[in-house]
Amino acid sequence: MRLRSRAAILLLVMSLIAVACSSETTDTTASGDEPTATTAVDGSTDETSAPETTAAPSEEPITVRAAVTGGEDTLNPYTYVSGFPGWNLLMLQYDSLMQFDAAGEPQPWLAESVEPNDDLTEWTITLVDGVTFNDGEPLTVDDVEFTFDYFVEKAAGRFARDLRGVESVTTDGDRTITVNLDAPNPAFELVALADIPIIPQHIWSEVDNPEEYQFDSVTNVGSGPFVLVDYVEDQSYRFEANPDYFRGAPTVDELVVVVFADDSGPLAAIRSGEIDVIFERISPEQIELLDAADPIDVVQGPEFTTQMINFDVSKAPFDDVAVRQAISLAVDRQDIVDTVFLGAATVGSPGWVHPDKAVYNPAVAADQDLEAANALLDEAGYTDTDGDGIREFDGAPMSFEMLTNSSDSLRLRISELVSEMLAEVGIQVNVASVETATWEEAVWPGFDIANGRNYQMAAWGWSAPIQANTIRVAELVHGDPSIGFLNLTGFSNPEVDALAAQLLTEADEAAAAQAIGELQVLIADLVPFVLLAYPDGAYAYNSATYDGWEFIAGQGIVSKVSLLDPSARP
Amino acid sequence: MTSRSLTGTLRGVIPRSLADRLGWLGAGIVAFLLGTAVFAPVLAPFDPAERVARPFLAPSADHLLGTNDVGQDLLSELIYGTRVSLTVGIVAAVVAMVIGTTVGLIAGYYPKRLGSVLMRFVDVVLILPFLPLLIVLAAYLGRSLTNTIVVIGVLIWAAPARIIRSQVLSLRSREYVLASRSMGAKDRWVIMRHILPRTALLATGSFVRAVSGAILLEAALSFLGLGDPIQKSWGSTLFWAQSRGAFLTPAWKWWVLPPGLAIMAASLGFALIAFAVEERINPKL
Repeated sequence: MRLRSRAAILLLVMSLIAVACSSETTDTTASGDEPTATTAVDGSTDETSAPETTAAPSEEPITVRAAVTGGEDTLNPYTYVSGFPGWNLLMLQYDSLMQFDAAGEPQPWLAESVEPNDDLTEWTITLVDGVTFNDGEPLTVDDVEFTFDYFVEKAAGRFARDLRGVESVTTDGDRTITVNLDAPNPAFELVALADIPIIPQHIWSEVDNPEEYQFDSVTNVGSGPFVLVDYVEDQSYRFEANPDYFRGAPTVDELVVVVFADDSGPLAAIRSGEIDVIFERISPEQIELLDAADPIDVVQGPEFTTQMINFDVSKAPFDDVAVRQAISLAVDRQDIVDTVFLGAATVGSPGWVHPDKAVYNPAVAADQDLEAANALLDEAGYTDTDGDGIREFDGAPMSFEMLTNSSDSLRLRISELVSEMLAEVGIQVNVASVETATWEEAVWPGFDIANGRNYQMAAWGWSAPIQANTIRVAELVHGDPSIGFLNLTGFSNPEVDALAAQLLTEADEAAAAQAIGELQVLIADLVPFVLLAYPDGAYAYNSATYDGWEFIAGQGIVSKVSLLDPSARP
Repeated sequence: MTSRSLTGTLRGVIPRSLADRLGWLGAGIVAFLLGTAVFAPVLAPFDPAERVARPFLAPSADHLLGTNDVGQDLLSELIYGTRVSLTVGIVAAVVAMVIGTTVGLIAGYYPKRLGSVLMRFVDVVLILPFLPLLIVLAAYLGRSLTNTIVVIGVLIWAAPARIIRSQVLSLRSREYVLASRSMGAKDRWVIMRHILPRTALLATGSFVRAVSGAILLEAALSFLGLGDPIQKSWGSTLFWAQSRGAFLTPAWKWWVLPPGLAIMAASLGFALIAFAVEERINPKL
C-alpha cells in the first residue's frame, strides 16, 4: 500500500536521523553526516590547502571557516539575500562612512568626521585621506556622491530606503561632502551613514542593470578588509584578506564561508572541528552544551529583537486601559526569560526601550503582581459572575484567541506560558498557531496599518533595527498612521503623540533624552503593547582557531570589526 | 505496493496458525495502548500541560523520561499522547472507510458509466503525490485536531474503495442478487440487503490497515509542525524535540526514542491485526 510504505520510509528516515545525530554527540571526531555540508566543506578544503595569502609571512596564516545557513547569491549590494548575515558578509568587502562600535553606536570610519548642523538637516562629512579600493584606485568624494545617486536611481531596496529624505549631495572636489535632508533626521548616521556600502564609480558607472550584471574578479571591488575571491553557488565563499586595508591588515588571512542547508549541520560541524564559527545565532538550549565542549566558546550579547504581546486596542475590552495594565501585571517576564530562553534573554521593559540603551529610563520596571492585576479587573467591573474561573465583560467571557506564527517555536512556547499566566487572573487565552503569512495578514494586513487589524491578541516581535534606533518608538505608538506606521495595536493618546512627534525632529540631545524618558513612563502606564523579553544573541566559535570576535550590541559578531586588530576597531 | 506483494508472498508461506499468532500479538499491543489511553489520568504521574520541573532535565526518579523544553514531564506527555494518536488513527480511518465504502459500492454496482468515472477519480487520488499533498492541505486548512483527521481521512480512502469495488463487482453477478433484481427489487434495497453486508468483513481488514497508516501520518504531520503543536501527541513531542535541538544532544534517548517506539508499536499492532484478518477473509484467487 502506497501510504503505508511512504509513511514507513518517513519513519525510517526519522530514526536514521536520530541514529546519525547520536553518533555526532557521542563522538565529536565523527565527520558531518549532512551531505550538503560534507561536499561544501570538502570543496573548500581543497582550495584552502593551497594558501596564496602572504599577509603575515612570519606567522602561520590564519584561516577561519564560518558556517551560514542559506546562500547569499553573489554578495554584491544588489544580490545579497538576507539582512543578516547577508548584509554583514557584504560589508566585509565594502566600507561605509560610519561603522558600529561595540555599543552599537555609529562611529566615523571612511569619514574622518561627520558634522550635522543645528537642526540636523545638513550633514558635513570629511573623508579619511588615502583610502583605496582593492584594485588600487583611490576612494574619493566622487565615489560617495556617485554611490548615493546610484542607489536612489537604481532603486537598491534597502539602501534606497536609507536615503529617503536626501535632497541633495554636493562635494567640494577635495575631501568634503555635504548632504542636505528635507527634514531633520537624528537617526541619519544610524540608518544611512553606517549602512550604505560605498561603491567604486569607475566600475559601477558602466553597470546599467546591477541586478543582472555579472561581476568578475576584476570588477568585484570594494574598499573593505576582505576580497571575495571564490564563490560556489549554495556551497561556499572564500574571502582573502586585503593587506593594504586603510585601518591595517585584518588579523585573519582567509575567511571561508560554508553554506549549510539547515541549522543542525553547523552545530555538528563545529563540534567535529570542520568549521570554526557559526555566523548564525544559536538557540538557547545549545549555549550551555556548546560552551561546555572544548575548545568551543560562546559569546553572548544584546540583539535588540523583541518578543511581545499585541492586542487590538480599538476594540473592547482592550480599549480599557485597566485590562491592558492587568495583562502587563499578570505576566511573569522573568519566568519567560528563564523557561523559554533558559536565561539567554533580557527581561522586557514595559517602556519599550532596552536597558542597555543609554536613554533607558530605569524608573519603569515590570514585576508580576497578580493581586494588583486582579484588583484592577475587579474594580473595572470585569467579574466572574458564573463561577467558571473566567471573568466576563458585557455578558461574554473574557476568552480571546492569541495568534502566533508556527515557524517560531520559541514564540509558540511564550504564547503557551502567557496563556497559563493570564488564566491566573481569570482571562482565558486560546493559542492559535498559524502560518506566518496568515499571522502577518491578521496583525498587519498588507503591511499597512490603514487596512486595520483582524485579531484580538497576537504574539509579535520586531526585528533589531526598530529597537536599535530608539526614536523609532514613535512609529510604534503615534496615533497618526503617517507617523505611527508601525502602530499595529491601534493605540492613540494625545500626550504620547506630542512626545513622539517631538522625538522625531528634536535636534537638542538633552531635550530628546528627556522626551524619550517621559515617553517610556507613559508607554509603561498606558500599555499599547506588552513587551515580554529581548532575546540575546549567542554565537559559537572555536577559540583555538581565532578568538578575536567582538559582539556589537544589536549586530552580533559578524562584522569586519571582529576580524581587525583591536587597535584598528572603532 | 511492496507491502501488498509482501503480504501476498507471505500468505503462501506462513501457516495460518502463525498469522493468527501475529494477529493476537497485534491485538495485545493495541489492547495495551487502548488501556493506556483510557487510564491515562491514572497512569500519568503529572498533568502533561503543567510545568512541573526545570526544562531539559535528564531522566530521574521523579521524571522517568526527564522533562521537555518548558519543564513538562515527558512520560506523562507520552502517556497522554496515546489518546491523541489512537483517536486520530481510528477516527480518520472511519472517515476513510465511509468515503471508500460508499464510492466502492456505487462504482462496483454501476460499473458502466458512473463506475468508470468514479474509478478514474480513484485512480487520480491514488497517483497523487501523497505526502506533499497532505502537507499542502494541512497547511491550508490550519492546525487543529479535526483538520488533521479530515485531511488524513480524505486522502487514504482510495485504496479501500478499490478493494470494495472489486468485491461488489463479483457480488452483483451472483445468482441470488440477480434473482432479487429480477423480482423487481430496487437497487437501494439490493445494495443494503445483499451487497453491503457481504463487503463488511472485507472492509474490516481495510479499516484496521487504514488505522495503522493514519497513526503514522498523524505522527508525520505533527512532527513537521503541521498538526496542532499544543496537542500532546507523539508526533508533536517529536516536533518539539526537533525544534529544541534534542536530536543533536544526548536527550534523544529519552525525548525522541520513546515516542518513536510508541508510534512504531501502535502502527505495528494494527498492521499485524490487519494481516491476520485479511489472511482469513480475503478472497483467494
